[in-house]
Amino acid sequence: MWDSAEGFFGSYYIYWISVFLFLGYGASLVLLYLTGILLARRSIKRTKQRSVFLRAEDIVSATDIPSVTIIAPAYNEGLTIIENVKSLLSIQYPYYELILVNDGSNDDSLKKLINEFNLERQDATFITQPIPTASVKYIYRSRETKYTHLTVIDKNNGGKADAINAGVNFSNTELVIFTDVDCIIEQDAILKMVRPYLEEDDKEIIGCGGGIGIANDSIIKNGILSELRLPSRLIPMNQVVEYIRTFLLGRMAWSEINGLMLISGAFGMYPRKRVIEVGGFNPKTVGEDLELCVRMRMYMEEKKIPYKVVYLPETLCWTEAPSDYNILIRQRDRWARGLWETMSLHRKLFLNRKYRKMGLLFYPYWLFFEFSAPVVEFLGIICMIAFGIFGWINWPFAIMLFFAAYLVGCVFSTIAIFMYIKNFDHYTKPKQVVELLLAAYLEPFLYHPVLLFGQMKGYYKKLFDITSGWGNMTRKGFKVLKK
Amino acid sequence: MRKVLVIQEDIIILKILERLVRLNNFECKAIRSLEDLSIEDQQTNFDFIITDILFEGIAPLEFVAQVQEVLLHKNLLIVTNMGQDKVKKEIFALRGITGFYAAPIDLDEIEAIIQAY
Amino acid sequence: MNEKSLLLFISIVFAVLVIYWISIAVSLIYRRRRKARLMKIEIIFADIVSRYLYNDPVNPLTLEEIKTTLRNVGIRPRNKNNIQFVIRLMIRTQRTILGSNFSKLQKLYAEIPPYGVSIKKISSWSWYKKARGIREIYEMNQSQYFDEIFKYRDDKNIYVRREAQIALVVFLGWESLRFLPYLKRNITLWQQIKIVEKLYDLYPKPELKWLHRAYETEKLFGKKLLMRIIRKYELHEEIGFIIDHLNHEDYEVRETAIYCLQTFAVSSSTMAYIKELYNDIPNATQQGQLLNYIYENSDIDLEFYLKQLYSNNEDLKLSIAEILWNNGYKEKVQEFYYQQYPKASLNVG
Repeated sequence: MWDSAEGFFGSYYIYWISVFLFLGYGASLVLLYLTGILLARRSIKRTKQRSVFLRAEDIVSATDIPSVTIIAPAYNEGLTIIENVKSLLSIQYPYYELILVNDGSNDDSLKKLINEFNLERQDATFITQPIPTASVKYIYRSRETKYTHLTVIDKNNGGKADAINAGVNFSNTELVIFTDVDCIIEQDAILKMVRPYLEEDDKEIIGCGGGIGIANDSIIKNGILSELRLPSRLIPMNQVVEYIRTFLLGRMAWSEINGLMLISGAFGMYPRKRVIEVGGFNPKTVGEDLELCVRMRMYMEEKKIPYKVVYLPETLCWTEAPSDYNILIRQRDRWARGLWETMSLHRKLFLNRKYRKMGLLFYPYWLFFEFSAPVVEFLGIICMIAFGIFGWINWPFAIMLFFAAYLVGCVFSTIAIFMYIKNFDHYTKPKQVVELLLAAYLEPFLYHPVLLFGQMKGYYKKLFDITSGWGNMTRKGFKVLKK
Repeated sequence: MRKVLVIQEDIIILKILERLVRLNNFECKAIRSLEDLSIEDQQTNFDFIITDILFEGIAPLEFVAQVQEVLLHKNLLIVTNMGQDKVKKEIFALRGITGFYAAPIDLDEIEAIIQAY
Repeated sequence: MNEKSLLLFISIVFAVLVIYWISIAVSLIYRRRRKARLMKIEIIFADIVSRYLYNDPVNPLTLEEIKTTLRNVGIRPRNKNNIQFVIRLMIRTQRTILGSNFSKLQKLYAEIPPYGVSIKKISSWSWYKKARGIREIYEMNQSQYFDEIFKYRDDKNIYVRREAQIALVVFLGWESLRFLPYLKRNITLWQQIKIVEKLYDLYPKPELKWLHRAYETEKLFGKKLLMRIIRKYELHEEIGFIIDHLNHEDYEVRETAIYCLQTFAVSSSTMAYIKELYNDIPNATQQGQLLNYIYENSDIDLEFYLKQLYSNNEDLKLSIAEILWNNGYKEKVQEFYYQQYPKASLNVG
């Protein structure tokens, strides 16, 4: 039909089909975002109202509340491991344990931990392993009463997912929280995270996530965030806006209709029983957090047990974001591969009535709007260039259309920032807010194209079977003020 | 004059304990965190320290251990919202604790201890 | 779509953007001022309460002085948010204190503003206001409104009925067990915790006749609630009720039973019975929890552990082997594993 690219892109029909497809896709996204804003607004309001009847200060004094273990895998984190563990130990919750899993580090992490916390080696022969993992060498516990909540598991290297699974095996609490060892967790985070479990009614809570914030260039003192600052560089600053938008609008909206398919690996809480039943994290994927959440939902659907996955709007965990383009691309490349793997692994969900809304709505959404978005965007750019070359484009009108789309994007980011400022006290200075808004308005030009490149790179690797692991996520480290 | 140090993040409990102590003829230093201590306070040998265990950036057990290590004192009373039996046992395992009071607290009991001193 | 309509669309979107910019500015200013105001109210309130509870005979604090101070800091009928905040402070303070000071506080609260705010909320159509009103009434012990609250104990909104049920406990004490285990709707874990806590704080002397009557309940939440009460009050003579539920068919009822049992030490005959029930528990994790309890609360019963070691239940064999290994029966463990893997070398210890 078309004997050349010229014939294809020069075709009247192809031009109009493309125009309507892209316009339709864009309009659907805008509609989805608008719905998301309404749902998120409702969800945030309801969460705030509910919290009046169950405040953190009520929970901290209660007996019979569920016990919780934080599991933090560590691989060659020797530089900051002591500060990180002390920070994690300071979290306020009466029935709390911390398991640090040393995943075969070849630096001095373990030695430092042994010295600082006066750890004593214990035999690991009799550890029951409901989830198979790389072998555990030893268990370490402190000889000092003040560190009674700390356990260090020393195991052979098996990757992040494997390390967390080892932690799950060893823990014996009702709930487990997975986090990265270098995350700064809010002191009352567990008290807030257990709320949905305490209020569980006719639906079992199988996962709970909390907002994650970016703390580059912020001041850390005694293991807690003493002064939240905005990052000085544009890339992490853009991620601040991106995270606010994603967590406050996206996740909260999905939470409202029980459609959450992802609880971030940086901070998520699950019932240990269910994690074991589904066999823990899948060590074969690089998007293990998404994959676990999807698998747990599928499990509950198959068992026909009513369940819920919930999200809390508050930022409960602070992390360091990639601060340059290279690291950012590596991160997004990995996320894209993780998404590809999960979508492919659980493709049977697609329009599968057996999984009800998950199969008919949530999975298709992820397929069309999360997984396909970079592809559509990439194709859009190609079409625009090609149609431009062949003279199909009315440039003055196209520029106006672009400006309109840009403004709509700005409105969404502004609403997200407004909702964050209205509900939380993290960014309170006018200068910070102006900087956030400026970053949001520059995002489509200076940040988004890089994300697109990273995602396409990940897909390219999957498509052509190019092996790639987690990729190094080099961090600069927080500014730490000594006591 | 006999001296008491009260450390409570909750301003209401802090003020109530401060009044209780002062009306019993003790000199009282009331602070909301260890950071508010002056150098002079750090050299004082307090007759009582009445403290919470929940403070930002430090685990409850480590906080108590730090108070015991850093501040001179004769008696250490814990008054806290996080007063479950398990926590109480762990705190007492640190040794050197005079009393542990979990909210809701009967202030008369604390007054009686101070008066008996 | 033509250029004109696109321009109109752009203008509308831009106007929305401007509205949000203004909203952000207003929000920033409001939050800053509000925070400062709340801090001031909290400090003033702390000062009033502390001076009232420990009044200085030389410089006594009068009721009139308290009212004036509160008014000056913004506690006036038209400042509803300030009033709500002060109510929150009142509840928070009262929940922290027991004994004679608790009574003193109640006397103070009855004499200072806000007056009659909570009961007005109960007639609101909003579940949020209604539930808050009920909560304030029971926390401030305004028992004259009990009849108003009682009817909400089975309300369709979870928060309204939860607060009403806690009010039942606050006002009726142990007698509330006439109703609680038989309610139509489920009682959440938090609700059970609150009920038990309120009962324990306000009615520390057990009234067993109400407990015994409540044993008849078939509701699962009722069973869990009763077990928690037995645990909290450490009612050794009632432990049979907990033990009877160790092998209940419902996972959560078993979980509660195992959790509550851990507070008690039992006689050797009861322990023998618990060991019998052990095999009926259909979940390995729960069996593991009960195994820990048995191990920590009784002497080593070689026959019991060996029976478990040689049973078909694979999940807990390592735990059982560990118990035997650490308690002087290494040879029994070796014997078991040699028999399992006769040709392999044993890699234990």
